[in-house]
Amino acid sequence: MADLKTRFFGLELNNPIIVASSGLTDKPESVKEFSELGAGAIVLKSVFEEEVINEYNQIAQSKSSAHFEEFIDYFDYKIRDQVLANYGKLIKEAKSNSQVPVIASINCVSAGDWLQFASQVQDAGADAIELNLLVLPSDLERNAANNHQFYLDAVKEVLRAVKIPVSVKISNYFSDLACICKELANEGVAGITMFNRFSTPDIDIDKEKVVQAGALSSPDEHLTALRWVGLLSSRINCPIAASSGIHDSRQVIKMLLAGADAVQIASAFYKNGKPYLKELLKGLENWMDKKGYASLGQFKGKLSLEKVANPAIYERAQFLSHFGGYS
Amino acid sequence: MEMTAQEKQQQERNKEWRDELRKSVPNKDRVSIERVKMTEVAPEERIKSQNIEVNCGLTPEQAQREASRCLDCANPTCIEGCPVSIDIPRFVKCIEAGKFLDAAATLKEFSALPAVCGRVCPQEKQCEIKCFYAQKMKKDPVAIGYLERFAADYERESGKIQIPEVASKNGIKVAAIGSGPASLSFAGDMIKLGYEVTVFEALHEIGGVLKYGIPEFRLPNSIVDVELENLKNMGVRFEKNFVVGRTASFDDLKELGYECFFIGSGAGLPNFMNIPGENLNGVMSSNEYLTRVNLMAANQDDSDTPVLLGKRVAVVGGGNTAMDAVRTAKRLGAEKAMLIYRRSREEMPARVEEVKHAEEEGVEFHNLANPIEYLADDDGRVAKVRLQRMKLGEPDASGRRRPVPIEGAIDELDIDLAIVAIGVSPNPLIPACLSGLKMTRWHTIEVNEETMQSTIPEFFAGGDIVRGGATVILAMGDGRRAAANMHKYLSEKHAEKKG
Amino acid sequence: MNKIVEKKQLSENVVKFVVEAPMIAKSRKPGNFVILRIGSKGERIPLTIVDSDIERGTITLIVQNVGVSSGKLCQLNEGDEITDLVGPLGKATHIHQAGTVLALGGGVGIAPLYPIVEAMKKAGNRVITVLAARNKDLLILEEEMRQWSDEVIVMTDDGSYGRKGLVTEGAEEVIKREKVDECIAIGPAIMMKFCALLTKKYDIPTQVSLNTIMVDGTGMCGACRVTVNGETKFTCVDGPEFNAHQIDFDEMLKRLQAYKREEDQARNEKK
Repeated sequence: MADLKTRFFGLELNNPIIVASSGLTDKPESVKEFSELGAGAIVLKSVFEEEVINEYNQIAQSKSSAHFEEFIDYFDYKIRDQVLANYGKLIKEAKSNSQVPVIASINCVSAGDWLQFASQVQDAGADAIELNLLVLPSDLERNAANNHQFYLDAVKEVLRAVKIPVSVKISNYFSDLACICKELANEGVAGITMFNRFSTPDIDIDKEKVVQAGALSSPDEHLTALRWVGLLSSRINCPIAASSGIHDSRQVIKMLLAGADAVQIASAFYKNGKPYLKELLKGLENWMDKKGYASLGQFKGKLSLEKVANPAIYERAQFLSHFGGYS
Repeated sequence: MEMTAQEKQQQERNKEWRDELRKSVPNKDRVSIERVKMTEVAPEERIKSQNIEVNCGLTPEQAQREASRCLDCANPTCIEGCPVSIDIPRFVKCIEAGKFLDAAATLKEFSALPAVCGRVCPQEKQCEIKCFYAQKMKKDPVAIGYLERFAADYERESGKIQIPEVASKNGIKVAAIGSGPASLSFAGDMIKLGYEVTVFEALHEIGGVLKYGIPEFRLPNSIVDVELENLKNMGVRFEKNFVVGRTASFDDLKELGYECFFIGSGAGLPNFMNIPGENLNGVMSSNEYLTRVNLMAANQDDSDTPVLLGKRVAVVGGGNTAMDAVRTAKRLGAEKAMLIYRRSREEMPARVEEVKHAEEEGVEFHNLANPIEYLADDDGRVAKVRLQRMKLGEPDASGRRRPVPIEGAIDELDIDLAIVAIGVSPNPLIPACLSGLKMTRWHTIEVNEETMQSTIPEFFAGGDIVRGGATVILAMGDGRRAAANMHKYLSEKHAEKKG
Repeated sequence: MNKIVEKKQLSENVVKFVVEAPMIAKSRKPGNFVILRIGSKGERIPLTIVDSDIERGTITLIVQNVGVSSGKLCQLNEGDEITDLVGPLGKATHIHQAGTVLALGGGVGIAPLYPIVEAMKKAGNRVITVLAARNKDLLILEEEMRQWSDEVIVMTDDGSYGRKGLVTEGAEEVIKREKVDECIAIGPAIMMKFCALLTKKYDIPTQVSLNTIMVDGTGMCGACRVTVNGETKFTCVDGPEFNAHQIDFDEMLKRLQAYKREEDQARNEKK
């Protein structure tokens, strides 16, 4: 039997398959199920600063008068306390139902808020924290330096304040992706997961409405993560996990060959049910047996940028010459 | 049929003396008078002591002149702004006519504690902003607040305080829990209706926030004591050091004959931000700080209660409580008394007058800043606060612009005392004793907004325990409404028994 | 008013008072405390209710003279009035049949331990009590404890009475020789911290009663806040008893020192 152990989130995991933060990980019962099915780790549904803001707006609307200004003034802190208390409860219950690490996922807008959320989540007993750095660069006034600064500030704040491992999950909207990964690694994060997914807008031309496209990833998306895992895994000093579009064990193996230490999966479980986890693990083990690999270390990163025979294939943005071959 | 308030107001307005008074001065002369300036003790003087009231009050001449500015509108909009619908033109015109005691009597028809409200009501958000001057002429409104204070003070100082008529005793016992403004005004009305009223107070002093919350320099305790004396003279009983639900249960009180209860136990639960370092020595709630100073006189040498004095004091918040705390710190010797508020100066919910006074006294305003962490020195005492600088973003649902953090803009301030004054929540002790009492998610007692009756029929409630931290005048309005409806409820109950 | 009907010196610095307080006597349960004030300038201080007599309408308080306010109280005599007295405050002890209860009392902490020992015994538990004091003179309530304990072990720091050693040593002996289902420890904060560390080793559920700074005692000001299981709790309304293994003792010990400088100054000035 192959040894599937790997290291991510600053923790030793039994295998590289991590259940990603999603609606599948928002209840202690689901966490228990994934734990029993043999997940390497489970990332809880994210707690968002937006939840606090939305609730605050609801309350402010119902109590908007001059008399309540003082009462409402810092009411978002009360809401935040409740939101975090509920999340803390989820963390505690998930932990008591799980044999594998339970990771809290937080998503904030400001450095100060990260700090508060992170400390409270640590106190609730999470094994590690995943900072979900999810800023869509759609603000006309915000340039790359601003975003860059935001991410580093958030990470610095949290690392200073908590003792448990802190990892980050980033988007691929960076003009300096390699550079920011290097800087995050240097700050001391326990892992970088690439990439998270924004919700996707679509247009219904009959109703003439903007709608949300399907929430699940498609398998093709995995190629984006694959390129960057291959490009960066051997060159930055921090573990990497691949995410988005990993739907079967073949794609898991690809990521490991490219140098990933783990993968995060959600959509595949939505599509195929939680027990699919066992199939993923089986697929990985069967391939390892066929190839004669006894542990992940024997093939992990074999095809990363530094190791591969033709590294240019990772970097080439133009495929003109490829198509050029047809002319 | 009893007249409505509006009909009564019109009836008064149509009286001959009012008509003559209106005719005695042409309106164009009235509007040419500038709004009176309140005499204030100079800042350098007043910060030497906690006990120097800043506003000195109007002289009779000033009061009459200011009162003459009032146009005695046919449809007075000022009354709409008042939470207890005081017949403002009536009392103001009494002042103009020199009938100061009548002005006080008018006030007392509507408000149990006019000397208090005249000092602490946010008139700029209530009656004065609705004044014709402000609304239509874009000029300074009639100084209704100053006039209310004048009339109440005049009556008190004249020694001719009218004890209202008290109906003959009906033998029914009712209780008020807490002795703050809500309960006091409830008690004042119920005693007049002939009930036996007992007010139960957990602390060793009567008055609630009026004593432990609002400092001497804004509301002297002696003023509150006069009102309390009046209530005692009318027959209200006060029991101090009595925590209802602990010292005796509600069932015990029912056995002693109490039939109905008004819960006015207030918002005595401090809110903290739950940021790292908030439990360090030298970081305390505004409730603790103000209770030590106002109730326990900790700043005085002969008091046994200590208070932490700071040279560099930071107060977090922007409401009246925050202003009270930072101005107290200044008076207690702070070299730097700083206010940290995450929105702009204009958006601070505190009374405009308090902000102005604080500024004059040398309080440093750090607007658009928000604490994210407190750091300690080697002894575990707070030494620094880390602040996130903010900018104003889009308006939120309350209409105010939301403070948005500026990335990377984090500063540190050296401090040795931090006071968290970000608001208060309802104290849970009393509600915890009453199963069946419906509470909101935010731990306030749910009541019928018209009658102030809770989900348990014999329990009424009002003030901060229903509203969350609000104002004295709102609490008083609640107390009065509860009294009227409890009276109705009890009258019906006893009529049934007889019938 | 609250008249003192009995006064007894238990040791050099420890005085027992029996005070008129009929309503408190009736409502109180083991674990509750009162807050009192001496004089119109007096400070509000908490004291655990040691005992009560419903028929006489009295409560018993035991106070150690450690500062200005406790000093003033100790100077009062039979017939004097306590200016303000309010209670019963705090959550009552959870009295239940656990099996074998190990009760640990340090110094004046023995006083608040007494009503709990009595109640636990009456509830059908086997109660083993370890009393500790610096020396023989400072040991209080030994006879009363013997009345309600299956066994009493006395430890003194200097060996002047009972056995020489700390309360934790006596406690560990008991734990090693028989099964202990529950522990309750009351005494100076540092003592409770070490008792908690001891019982954690053996996984024995343990309650302690905290003696934080207080002002109002009804949950209004937050002066008494402690961190329990990562959450902020108020000793006066959520406590005074808490699960010992969840308390951040280091933070609590620091917070106890908050007014030390001011209090030392005051004590020196009064001299």
